[in-house]
Amino acid sequence: MHSEAEPRNKKQLPYPVSKNRVYIGPEPNWKVLEMEFASHITVSALGQQLLVGLSRTTILFIVASGLSLVLGVLRIPNVAHGSLYMIGAFLAYSINVFFGGGSTGFWVALVLAPLGVALISLAVERGLFCHLYDREHLMLLLFTFSFMLLFRDLVKLVWGSDYRSLAAPDMLQGSFSFFGMPFPRYNLFLLIVGPLVAVGLWFLTNKTKVGKISRAAAVDREMVGAVGINVSWVFAFVFVIGCFLAGLGGALVAPTQNINQGMDHTLIIEAFLIVIVGGLGNMWGALLGALIFGLTDSIGILVWPQFAIVFPYLAVIVILVFRPKGLLKATW
Amino acid sequence: MLSVQAVTKSFDHFVAVSEANLEVEKGSVVAVIGPNGAGKSTLFKLITGHLKPDRGRIIFKGEEVAGLPPHAICRKGISLSYQIVNIFSRLTVFENVQAAVLSHQKRTYNLFSPARNLAVKATCEILEAVGLSGTAGRISGTLSHGEQKVLEIAIALGNDPELLILDEPTAGMSPEETFATIGLINRLTKEMGLTILFCEHDMELVFSIAHRIMVMQQGVSIIEGDPDEIRNNKQVQEAYLGGSD
Amino acid sequence: MFNGFRNWKLLVLGVGFAVILAVAPLFLARFYVYFLALIVVTGLLATSLNMVLGFGGMYQFHHAVFFGVGAYALALMLTKTSLPQFLGFIVGPVIASVLAFLMGLICVRLSKLYFGMLQISLGSLVWALVFRWYSFTGGDDGIHGVPLPAMISSITGSYYFTLIVAGMSLALMYTIINSPFGRIFQAIRDNPERSAGIGVNVRAHQLVGELIAGFFGGVAGILFVTVEGSVFPDLLYWHLSLEILIMCLLGGWFTFWGPMLGAAFIVTLRTVVGVYTEYWTLVLAIILMLLIYFLPQGVLGYFQERFGSRGAVRSREDK
Repeated sequence: MHSEAEPRNKKQLPYPVSKNRVYIGPEPNWKVLEMEFASHITVSALGQQLLVGLSRTTILFIVASGLSLVLGVLRIPNVAHGSLYMIGAFLAYSINVFFGGGSTGFWVALVLAPLGVALISLAVERGLFCHLYDREHLMLLLFTFSFMLLFRDLVKLVWGSDYRSLAAPDMLQGSFSFFGMPFPRYNLFLLIVGPLVAVGLWFLTNKTKVGKISRAAAVDREMVGAVGINVSWVFAFVFVIGCFLAGLGGALVAPTQNINQGMDHTLIIEAFLIVIVGGLGNMWGALLGALIFGLTDSIGILVWPQFAIVFPYLAVIVILVFRPKGLLKATW
Repeated sequence: MLSVQAVTKSFDHFVAVSEANLEVEKGSVVAVIGPNGAGKSTLFKLITGHLKPDRGRIIFKGEEVAGLPPHAICRKGISLSYQIVNIFSRLTVFENVQAAVLSHQKRTYNLFSPARNLAVKATCEILEAVGLSGTAGRISGTLSHGEQKVLEIAIALGNDPELLILDEPTAGMSPEETFATIGLINRLTKEMGLTILFCEHDMELVFSIAHRIMVMQQGVSIIEGDPDEIRNNKQVQEAYLGGSD
Repeated sequence: MFNGFRNWKLLVLGVGFAVILAVAPLFLARFYVYFLALIVVTGLLATSLNMVLGFGGMYQFHHAVFFGVGAYALALMLTKTSLPQFLGFIVGPVIASVLAFLMGLICVRLSKLYFGMLQISLGSLVWALVFRWYSFTGGDDGIHGVPLPAMISSITGSYYFTLIVAGMSLALMYTIINSPFGRIFQAIRDNPERSAGIGVNVRAHQLVGELIAGFFGGVAGILFVTVEGSVFPDLLYWHLSLEILIMCLLGGWFTFWGPMLGAAFIVTLRTVVGVYTEYWTLVLAIILMLLIYFLPQGVLGYFQERFGSRGAVRSREDK
């Protein structure tokens, strides 16, 4: 498992990893920024940074809500969730290329890539996971970890080891002025998509029959089975929706950064922490968690860029110390 | 020895135990009876510290023990044998009891002595007393249900308690096993002078060995007295004895 | 060290194995000696994790932190200070165990998944600090060319040093597992509620377990520095933590030698298969999935259940 993007001369225990984070904007040169502390704080900078943070929140929310579904209803700690996110991004790239690479390509990719990921997850679930639901958590965790390894190498097989990039459609390119600072149009698009997805999910889980059954199954799967409902298909449905969301997150993030083979790494830990902080299986919790994560990260970048990455972790730790089960009600 | 005074516990508006009162004298055998859901197990968990009472006092040997963590209450001399079998299923029968004995001997932080040489005598004595010597080397998870219930009692004995609390000790046992357990309990009181508090649904057992009986229903102690009083009490007869056995 | 084995055949096997390990450098090429040393270090790390995982039932999801902290402590002491060199070797595991204790204080109130997640957050915080603190820790580049004491800086020297230290550590851990503390710890794994009921302060014992696991994780860390000569942030990354988790489960997490076996397996796989294809993780993933599917008790665990005690910790207490 090599990260060809950054060739290393070190020997192999453990293997090196490239750490591209979902940071909307150019990656700063940390060595240069080392000594700077709180040097960027102005009101407009704060405002802009908060908005950037909110856009990042959208991606985090979408991915985390998918994970929250899977973990909350199916009780599977799916470490491969990040891999599906990465596959979503790569698929979006390929579909975009297939359809000519322009604006239409983007929109088609946005629709088809998550569906592709959903299909993959359906195959995996029906083929393997459905036999493992009663296994110990630890085993499930490692099983999904194996999938993470598998997917990573599959991605390398199919797309090679180079970065890919995908351009946003014309109407979403460029930026407009917000309090004197440039704000990318695409970020605004994300800020609209986020709540749309939230509403859609809420509708799905609260207003549709399947959704209500899923919520019941999260709390007591035996009871649901005893009532005569085919729990197996409910679980498949939930799993597929969760993975669809991961793919959607990947497709959405694709135009904002280099699509690379390390995307699964950084995101999965953040997604897990968000889900736990918000409350397992709780969609609003995922939103809250994503907000906390995105905003603390942005504030961190503003206040202490070198250690910005520490701020979200600190926030998570503080919350978990006082509310170990998360901020909102968990399903288990 | 044990005095439970006006203890109350509710879970989210469901009142499990309400103003329960109980007096247990040293060396006696006291039974708590009542229909399912009466709050008997909850009361036992309150006494042993697994639950904290909302109100009321629990006094053991003159000390206030309500609200202490379970391991502290165990150290004071109270041991509980659980209703649902709660053993260390991956360890052998010997190791199960040995764990309790080691804990009693305050050797749990000993990092360097080989455990198989420690507390052997005490553990074997207990296994003899309950009749499990033959199965000492077996993994406890493989025992039959009845044997596991006896192991429950053995583990509780490992702490050399002064007050032994048994939560439905013969539940699910065959008649032979029940008979053996009654004999065990008798030996424990008469020969070892243990004070025993237990709850049971088997009325024959209750009336044959209990010195005093407390009746609970829906979390409330209805009445407390010796077996004859209870047997003849109208309220109890209607509520509980009338329908069963 | 092998006082638990009743089976003389296993004893002979064990001694033979130890002898082979001892004379290996005499007839193996340098790379293979290095490779063996790496297996021993990784095996020690996995065994230290299993102290709390398999024998304590604690979901230790970020054990690599202690490994990395021990390694970094030694590397930093050797490169940035002019204190006597041997001090670094002691300070490493000590700092790791202190960190384990502190993290334990925060995490141990929780159980299972929540314990693991909080530990991951705390560990990730440490990782992030190491990763970004370029001036102190070398950041993403790590520290290379750590000046080791002359005697152990060669491949053979570091190999024997590793063998000796790892051997002593394993002996210690084996003793601890078979001690009263070890029994109680396993009882806590099987039934924390009951353990409290027999008078055991569960939280306190789990903290001590964390201390021990963290200490030996740190020992593995300093051994890594002797073998490798460098440190980098990946040593603290959650990915490595999951890897060692896999080693434990693969080999059999209710046995003592299981993690060692798992470590040997994975390190060998990575090196050998890595020669033939750059997609060795694919192979690993498939093998892992098969094993988890069919052998949930791990390889050694499976053998133990089929054929009775083999390297098992539980001694048969026939009166």
